[in-house]
Amino acid sequence: MIRKSLFAVLFLTILAVAVSAQVPAASPQPPAAPKPAPPAPKTHLKVGQPAPEFNLPATDGKTYKLSDFKNKKNVVLAIYVLAFTGG
Amino acid sequence: MKAYQADIAKFEASDTQVFGMSVDSVPANREFAKQIGVTFPILSDFVKRSVVKDYGVFNEERGFGNRATFVIDKEGIIQHIDEGGAAIDPTTAAEACNILTRKKAQ
Repeated sequence: MIRKSLFAVLFLTILAVAVSAQVPAASPQPPAAPKPAPPAPKTHLKVGQPAPEFNLPATDGKTYKLSDFKNKKNVVLAIYVLAFTGG
Repeated sequence: MKAYQADIAKFEASDTQVFGMSVDSVPANREFAKQIGVTFPILSDFVKRSVVKDYGVFNEERGFGNRATFVIDKEGIIQHIDEGGAAIDPTTAAEACNILTRKKAQ
């Protein structure tokens, strides 16, 4: 959805530039389009790739390594923005 | 997080360890977990923020991670990814774990 609208904005921007380039430069420049919010970065990781190792302290006082679960359990890693944001 | 907690039995039934992860300190996460009643461990990538970078969910500009869920099988291979809003709902992740377990049983 975000990607689609970004493409739309990009397309319109290119169109506007192309049109304004053909018009004599008598008219003032059109106001710059508002800068779109930076898109949420998409992870470079893909399904089928090995998960990067981690070794981190947790709320229960233990330290967990991903490799400790190898051949033992599946692991679900729910990474979230910040504490106190709910969800 | 709350939604994952609500579905914790589903994950446990499919032989899955659930972790939360944030870039907050352990005490901050502990307080957060207590407030919302989360019992699974929340990992703290507070010091180096290297893991959230490794997983591609760290926003350099804003200085924190985005929301993403990774399902990793017993071989350490990523089997499912939810990003952004989709990562709030654990349903697809729970299904992915369920499928993994059934695959193993065959």
